[in-house]
Amino acid sequence: MHQNVVVLDNGGGLIKAGLGGERDPSAIIPNCVYRPLASKKWVHPSPNEPMDLTSAAVRRPIDRGYLINPDLQREIWANLFSSLLRVNPAQSSLLLTEPLFTLPSIQRATDELVFEDFNFSSFYVAHSPSLAHLYEASQRTFKAQCSLVVDCGFSFTHAVPVFQNFPINYAAKRIDLGGKALTNYLKELVSYRSVNVMDETFLIDDVKEKLCFVSLDVARDLQIAKKQGNAFRCTYVLPDGVTHTKGFVKNPEEAQRYLALGDGDTLEEVQQKMDVDQMEVTNKLEDRKKIDLTKNEFDLTNERFLVPEMIFHPADLGMNQAGLAECIVRAVSSCHPHLQPVLYENIILTGGSTLFPRLSDRLEKELRPLVPDDYQVNITPQQDPILGVWRGGSLLASSPDFEAMRVTKAEYEELGSARCRRRFC
Amino acid sequence: MDDDVSNPMRRMSSRTRKVASKMTAALQSSDNRTQAALARLEALENDNAGLEMVEANDDDEASLDDDDQVYIQKKHSKGTKRKTRQAKALEARKAPRTFLELVHEANLDSLPPHVPSYLKAAVGPPSSTSRRHFCTVCGSAANYTCVRCGVRFCSSRCQNIHNDTRCLKFVA
Ligand SMILES: [Zn+2]
Ligand SMILES: [Zn+2]
Repeated sequence: MHQNVVVLDNGGGLIKAGLGGERDPSAIIPNCVYRPLASKKWVHPSPNEPMDLTSAAVRRPIDRGYLINPDLQREIWANLFSSLLRVNPAQSSLLLTEPLFTLPSIQRATDELVFEDFNFSSFYVAHSPSLAHLYEASQRTFKAQCSLVVDCGFSFTHAVPVFQNFPINYAAKRIDLGGKALTNYLKELVSYRSVNVMDETFLIDDVKEKLCFVSLDVARDLQIAKKQGNAFRCTYVLPDGVTHTKGFVKNPEEAQRYLALGDGDTLEEVQQKMDVDQMEVTNKLEDRKKIDLTKNEFDLTNERFLVPEMIFHPADLGMNQAGLAECIVRAVSSCHPHLQPVLYENIILTGGSTLFPRLSDRLEKELRPLVPDDYQVNITPQQDPILGVWRGGSLLASSPDFEAMRVTKAEYEELGSARCRRRFC
Repeated sequence: MDDDVSNPMRRMSSRTRKVASKMTAALQSSDNRTQAALARLEALENDNAGLEMVEANDDDEASLDDDDQVYIQKKHSKGTKRKTRQAKALEARKAPRTFLELVHEANLDSLPPHVPSYLKAAVGPPSSTSRRHFCTVCGSAANYTCVRCGVRFCSSRCQNIHNDTRCLKFVA
């Protein structure tokens, strides 16, 4: 009998869920419940109804990438399966993503959720790096059987070598920084410098997604950012709760000006390019001051690149951890020497936090000097880094091998969690 | 009402916010600055950072509703005087443990050295320890340190802003 396979990429930030075999997930929702400012009730985010997330409090089942609150996850999944996917778990199989190094206690709690609370008929646990690799391998004539997957998501950043679809977990390296910390860091900066947005997780997420980018030359760009009306300055308009419940970028063209700056441009060249803009902007300066007084908006300049910068230099935040380029080098160096050149040649970027413009360019710039000269460095950002892992899961779920890989409810009942888990390693 | 429309931030952050006094104390001694730095890193993983900075002082007009207190109580045991012991026990049972608590319970240190684990996967310290500093006021490269609180600034202009409005304060 052919059964539905529910493919569930259970991220700390976003749930991506749908049926195996389809190209894209049918539901993408935040993995949280939230409580609007004026309400006492926690509610599920709904993709179909408008949400006023202004000053909403939030509860998440996942902490640092790992499931710590199965009760809350149960509520969120129950809503997902019944209202959004409209599937009957008892007649479905589940392919679930789980981060590497999930603690046994969390695995047990997850198995209980899957088999005892939801009664799935069978279950398979997949790791994001394998699925990202699988998807990329399906997309091109990808001769190598291995790749180095950089998964920079909501909770952390992993550099994981994947060999024949399995993560080499003894070589995996982690930076304790992801999109959540970056959003919180941006909140801090904006609150310290302009307006208090410490309660505005959802708003600042939007600011980060629309306005942050990676600098190719931080020292130069900090100099540029000091000038009035510089290429980085742009304005974000806060929601007023009346005409708009969401914030927005005031002038999207203004927000794109930085793209005119070339990698090698010196400060003088930049100055020349920007002179034209500067005139315009100076003229508008009076207007801007007036608007500022009402506090309906705030300006960003160097925050736009100082926030993603932390992925490359966590030490700047006071974290005693190496940045992304070194993280990759350490992961690759932990592998067999024969694998190393192939891994550098096949670096895949996945996860929502790889969406910052120019991240891949900057990574290559930092990585190149750290890699032996006769090795190629080849970085492939996933076309859709938020969905890439799910798509890999969808492929796996519809492959002929899948049936033999999963654990059935009967096996779980007979063998228990720990023994079933050995199948997924 | 008019006020609310013209000033969305009033609507957005109606909760009172105070400088956490523990933080202030911590910042004053350089030994404790490390502690404060760690606390700050921890805060970057918080979901409701603004909410959790609130100190529920009795003489202050409490701006949190009961629900908030229940939530915050999981992390801070403040502001719970009105709760019965029974209610507390119930919450303690229901409150999920943090991931770091779960890691601690898993006793990963006892694994044999060749077994990969969450702890061993951490990337480790950078090979070059040079930390860049950015001005907390404007974001530029910062060469000066406030002698009172250890925060960085870039120029006398930013130093003045720091001294006037921010020194020894964590949240604006
Ligand atoms: Zn400054
Ligand atoms: Zn100070």
